[in-house]
Amino acid sequence: MENAPTEPMVVNADRMAQRLMQRAYNRDGLPEIAAGLALLASAGLLGMQVLYPRGSIVNRSADFGFALLIPVLILGSQWAIKQVRRRYLIERVGYVVPKPVNRLRVGAAFCVALLTAVAVAFAAQRRIFPPDGWILAEIALVLCAMAVLNGRSQRFVIGGVLVAVAGVLIALRGASLDAGMAMLFGFAGALALLSGSVVLLRFLREPTEACE
Amino acid sequence: MSAKILRLAEIDRIIHEPARLMIVALLAAVEEADFQYLHQSTGLTKGNLSVHLSRLEEAGYVAIEKTFRGKYPLTICRLTERGREVLDQYKKVMKAAL
Repeated sequence: MENAPTEPMVVNADRMAQRLMQRAYNRDGLPEIAAGLALLASAGLLGMQVLYPRGSIVNRSADFGFALLIPVLILGSQWAIKQVRRRYLIERVGYVVPKPVNRLRVGAAFCVALLTAVAVAFAAQRRIFPPDGWILAEIALVLCAMAVLNGRSQRFVIGGVLVAVAGVLIALRGASLDAGMAMLFGFAGALALLSGSVVLLRFLREPTEACE
Repeated sequence: MSAKILRLAEIDRIIHEPARLMIVALLAAVEEADFQYLHQSTGLTKGNLSVHLSRLEEAGYVAIEKTFRGKYPLTICRLTERGREVLDQYKKVMKAAL
């Protein structure tokens, strides 16, 4: 293997390390597969809520699923990725012990989530939500920004742009918020799952080099 | 010439080398990592990475331990206290000068 071109001299060594770690983290496609599964599960549950009348067993199951399945998928996916890497991919991805979670950062993220929830609840009570189309387009743009910022590679940028375009198109078609979100999450989930699977297959096909 | 710029002459040349700076910066961001992880993250060849790690170990900036995880041999690397101090100092000098 050729030496990768050395990074330009970056004064901020921490930022350089974060960028390298993020690239290594996404290298095997497992995080994309996990995100794709979580998005597809969300799309399925949203679809159940749209297709079945309120109060029906299926609709209630979807509510229950959201309350239970999504947090488990989101929190459990990190654990599952770690286990798969340690058990099956350690010879390819290597072994790393991250630093303990920064409690201050977790606290800040929790506060932001809480404030957002309060703002959404307030808007719902006062009925001052913008039209469904606007919310859909905004969700698509947020998904796009998350993909670009977290992925830091070309495929994430392309995926993010495709999701943003899909969100705007769904919004322009005048779909209701629930149906639009189901379609958008379904599209984003399928895209992430497909991209992650292709990356994983290519990663597994790369020959393993002899140990140092 | 500014005194801050002049301090660049005192910079630690062992970690100033881009490949070694990558290794040290990566190790500063984790508790510990093995050779394969560093190889994947930095994109350096195994031979090159091995040489740079040896240099950092000789300088006392990185501690290297050979062990096993099941049947898989691990060469675990971690930044020493001295390595952390040198990196912090390096960052301070570079930030002040540039």
